[in-house]
Amino acid sequence: MSHAGSFASMILAPLAAATLAFIFPRLGRWLAFGTAGAVSIAFARLTRLLLDGGVQVHRVGGWGAPLGIDLRADGLAVFMLLITTAIGAAVMLYALRYFNARRSPAEGHQERYFWPLFLLLWSALNALLLSTDIFNLYVTLELLGFSAVLLIALDGRRAALTAALRYLFVSLSASLLYLLGVAIVYTRCATVDLTLLATRAQPGFPLTIAIALMTGGLLVKSALIPGHFWLPPAHANAPAPVSALLSALVVKGSFYIMLRLWFEAFPGLITPAAGNLLGGLGAAAVIWGALNALFQKRLKLLVAYSTVAQLGYLFLLFPLAAGHEGRFTAWSGGLVFLASHACAKAAMFLSAGNVVRARGGRDEIAHLEGMSSLQPISTFAFGLAGLSLIGLPPSGGFAGKWLLLRAGLAAGQGWWVAVILIGSLLAAAYVARVLVHGFTRAPVPGPARPNSPLMEWTALALAILAAGMGFLSVWLTDLLQVGAPAILIPPAGGAP
Amino acid sequence: MLYLFDLVLLVVIVLLAWRSLNDADLFRGTVSFIALGLLIAVAWVRLRAPDVALAEAAVGSGLTGALILSALVRMRRRGRDAPRPNHAGGAIPRRLIGVLLLALFLCLCGAMLRLAQWPEGLTETALAELPASGVSNPVTAVLLNYRSYDTLLEVAVLLLAIVGVWSLRRAEWPGDVRESYPLLMPLLRIVLPTLVLAAAYVLWIGTSKPGGAFQGGALAGGAFVLMLLGGFGRRALRHRYRMRVALSCGLLVFIAASVGTMLLTGEILRYPAGFAGHWILAIEAAALISIACTLGLLYLGGRPEEAGDGTPVNRSVNGSKNGSMGR
Amino acid sequence: MMYFDDRLYLIAGAALITIGLYALLAHRHFLRRILALNVMGSGVFMVLITYSARTAGSIPDPVPHAMVITGIVVSICATGLALVLAECVQALTGRTELSDERETSEHTGARPDTSDEQHQDQSP
Repeated sequence: MSHAGSFASMILAPLAAATLAFIFPRLGRWLAFGTAGAVSIAFARLTRLLLDGGVQVHRVGGWGAPLGIDLRADGLAVFMLLITTAIGAAVMLYALRYFNARRSPAEGHQERYFWPLFLLLWSALNALLLSTDIFNLYVTLELLGFSAVLLIALDGRRAALTAALRYLFVSLSASLLYLLGVAIVYTRCATVDLTLLATRAQPGFPLTIAIALMTGGLLVKSALIPGHFWLPPAHANAPAPVSALLSALVVKGSFYIMLRLWFEAFPGLITPAAGNLLGGLGAAAVIWGALNALFQKRLKLLVAYSTVAQLGYLFLLFPLAAGHEGRFTAWSGGLVFLASHACAKAAMFLSAGNVVRARGGRDEIAHLEGMSSLQPISTFAFGLAGLSLIGLPPSGGFAGKWLLLRAGLAAGQGWWVAVILIGSLLAAAYVARVLVHGFTRAPVPGPARPNSPLMEWTALALAILAAGMGFLSVWLTDLLQVGAPAILIPPAGGAP
Repeated sequence: MLYLFDLVLLVVIVLLAWRSLNDADLFRGTVSFIALGLLIAVAWVRLRAPDVALAEAAVGSGLTGALILSALVRMRRRGRDAPRPNHAGGAIPRRLIGVLLLALFLCLCGAMLRLAQWPEGLTETALAELPASGVSNPVTAVLLNYRSYDTLLEVAVLLLAIVGVWSLRRAEWPGDVRESYPLLMPLLRIVLPTLVLAAAYVLWIGTSKPGGAFQGGALAGGAFVLMLLGGFGRRALRHRYRMRVALSCGLLVFIAASVGTMLLTGEILRYPAGFAGHWILAIEAAALISIACTLGLLYLGGRPEEAGDGTPVNRSVNGSKNGSMGR
Repeated sequence: MMYFDDRLYLIAGAALITIGLYALLAHRHFLRRILALNVMGSGVFMVLITYSARTAGSIPDPVPHAMVITGIVVSICATGLALVLAECVQALTGRTELSDERETSEHTGARPDTSDEQHQDQSP
């Protein structure tokens, strides 16, 4: 597969499969399976090209920026594509068994529309991660947002539809603020390409407002306090595979764009105060989300609030990666944490889905007795994922937090250390709460709907990936170095 | 003189916008919104953006207005819709919102007015490459050549919208109004073929003058909506397989063109030299069909279900009794 | 080149954005919010087109025009989706606004495939 072919497959294969799955619903599963295969092969090829030849750029239409649109695969993009492909494939396998069309017409309807929507979401993610054009990113954000909303609304329950509508309103208004920022940027710099913006952007009030607008929109989409209110109902009320995709991947998309904007397009315009503001909000999210998680009555709401908390850690990256020292450490720490959270949270939602489904849809934590004996694999997966969220070695959560701590101490911003530690303690508390209820032995009657083994094993696979990601952290950090933003590599004399 | 025209136009636009959002009666507000859209289209003409004016008048004002009106009527029928703006107050008090937004407005004005001199934009580059682009309308060149990848994703968004609407619920067919409006059928007999012809014309002329697939698709979409109102075509619509193909052909042709161009020239969507115009027209033609069907079916607002005896399904006013949406 | 004062158009665009955002935050009815989003979008487009008309030259900059056309199409897709979703929510809740209470107490864990769907009619 050539270089262009890899780019094309990653974006166009899921799109084509989604369209065909819409026209021929009976082929939905096969198309999804085939797409996962095609995307995996394209991803492997792209990684090989990256490692051998450096950053890969494809000029769509042959024109190249500023007139055309470029697709670019550097270390960060490939890193994000790695987790997208892995989690996408795992959720696809899970969904193969989750929607059983034979069980009722309602489920047949859901399955029929799940595949096209899922494939469109996957395509949107890949397109977002590979794009370097901020207007193109707006279109991918809309594609991503709409498919996420529709997947939440898939089972037609009142709570799900309400949460989906709220998310839609939030998403649309955030996108419009982002678009206004793009308009001002284009006017000022005559381009919308990230790489070119780095050379053309100059400090001034208009660009500051533009960056503020874009950042504001993206922050709300990434559910940073105070823009987090839409996330818990949306992620908790969606079907299990959808919750996994949302918490693991969709919210990370807008965060990724923020990284690109702050570190690649406008590095010279970002003040330390702005970084500290984001860090402060992130710290607030860590504490607030974890406290809320601790007091939830429903399992899926607990996991959703945990997402709010864990996303807060990601925003600690901003002040730390702008310090005098340890920038790249902070960068890689935050990203390794992102990857491990994605796998762990997906595993958590999938295993929570297994447990809830086996109980006929009831997900009160107080009634989780017997979980450990009835669904041992899912319980184990939940526990392993919890390890990563808490940050115990050798999990990716530990590796990420460790790197962030080191960066914090190196940059002299030690107060973030306290936040990380408190957050870990609170995470331990809410994970333990679930497990304690799960391990109590009690007579469990109940409409145990046996779960397909595939559903349990995919949850476990993701949990193992998260729990063992610490071993991969060196390789991941090397991957991230390819084409890393220049601002992170200090001038000669500093240790990265 | 022109300054005065601009001033009056913009003052009316802003006032209409305020009125449409804050009017006590939602119906009046929606009608104000449609009028607002038409005035904005006039503004686009004034700003030398005729392609955008066509799209705004057809899609932004006309079809959007039709969608909102029909939703308003259905929502009123379904519930006792209080025709008053909601004074219950949200989580954030209105005064605070007003103050914050006033601050935002001032910041925006400050930022935008300060862009006193800015670089030229991409006009010169776009014009320079125009001969090689296969069309002579610069906007079409941008949409379908320079930045065709954006347009591909946009066609994907259109498909996503209709897949989503179909996943959510079944359609409620508009009532048969042929009896109450005897002039409707003669009108449709004249207007429908004209609209279809106009759509094809706008598509064709879009390569050199203002126009293109989206504007043409919007006209054809309008024809589709009129057809629904007139009560035709229900049997055809219920062949959902055919409808799905029609809705998808735009995106499929676009993807096929991407792959084809990649195999021929090595870069995605880089048209072979000399044939760019042909490829563009082919993509636009398929896109027009999909856009028209999508916009028309968005108006219908649901899956057109096969009903065995030909009666419209789901005409019940109260939705369904159980929790799911009457699937 | 036709003479026009771009400052008028920029201020009008900013006004539309602000009016739209105000209505989005202050009003609760679904349709008002959807209208508000459309008005906001028109404001953003007005900013883009004004800048493109400002460039000295024989024709305005075509790239923002293409962006706005894309934006208009995305906007109607969003409107269509939001309208159908809002109607579904109204059919299920009987209200035309989103409630602020978190749905923590409601028994919302059931899947449609369980035999009883009646409990979903209960209001929180």
